[in-house]
Amino acid sequence: MEGSKKIVIGNKMMTRKELFEEHEKFRKEQAKLPFEEKVRALIDLQKIAYNWGKKKDVIVWRSEKRGTAHI
Amino acid sequence: MRNTLQVINELKEKGLIKDYAIGGAIGALRWIEPFFTRDLDIFIVLKEKSEEGELIVLSPIYEELKKRGYIWEGHWIIIEGIPVDIFPVDELEEKAVENAQETEYEGVKTKVITPEYLIALFLRVNRDKDKRKIQMLSEQSEIDEEKLREILKEFELTEKFDRFKKEYYGRE
Repeated sequence: MEGSKKIVIGNKMMTRKELFEEHEKFRKEQAKLPFEEKVRALIDLQKIAYNWGKKKDVIVWRSEKRGTAHI
Repeated sequence: MRNTLQVINELKEKGLIKDYAIGGAIGALRWIEPFFTRDLDIFIVLKEKSEEGELIVLSPIYEELKKRGYIWEGHWIIIEGIPVDIFPVDELEEKAVENAQETEYEGVKTKVITPEYLIALFLRVNRDKDKRKIQMLSEQSEIDEEKLREILKEFELTEKFDRFKKEYYGRE
């Protein structure tokens, strides 16, 4: 049965349901990150969209801590 | 974003705006996992209220920003490398700014709209991307249900919220 199939990730083995639960837990933990860290992650996403996703209309935000990121 | 917020704070110090808070996607980002967005939405309360039908004059704010060398790109003004959308508040947004959480971003004081008001604001616009943010806020942030219901009732959004819940969760 689909629900009882196990998925092996590294040394972990879990069901599909457990895998989704794990993902959900991770997302909730990400939600608790400091605001500053989330904005840094956003800038990384903007860089990906600009470079890899070829969305040339995206303005990559300037990051004060890492220096200028405006492409 | 620190320098951008510093500039907005200076507008407040200069008396060009009475108060402001971060809303939109970046407001939501304060409470949920990182996700992609393009701009920073700032909701501003002006010093003087305009009467119904009167023009809302933002010229002094934009003149000040222009004087400092910030340029327009599309419908954004680019402040310290960040595209900013400035919205003068309506009744709901004013309450959201009033009740926004005071916080600091890299040592700079700012205010962020709380999840309950963000849900009401997203619900009012109600595009697919807004609904997705309501869903993430509901699942990942701590919502004061009583407060949320009060806001929804005050701004006649209860029915819309119940429809949203039915659509996303199959229940009201």
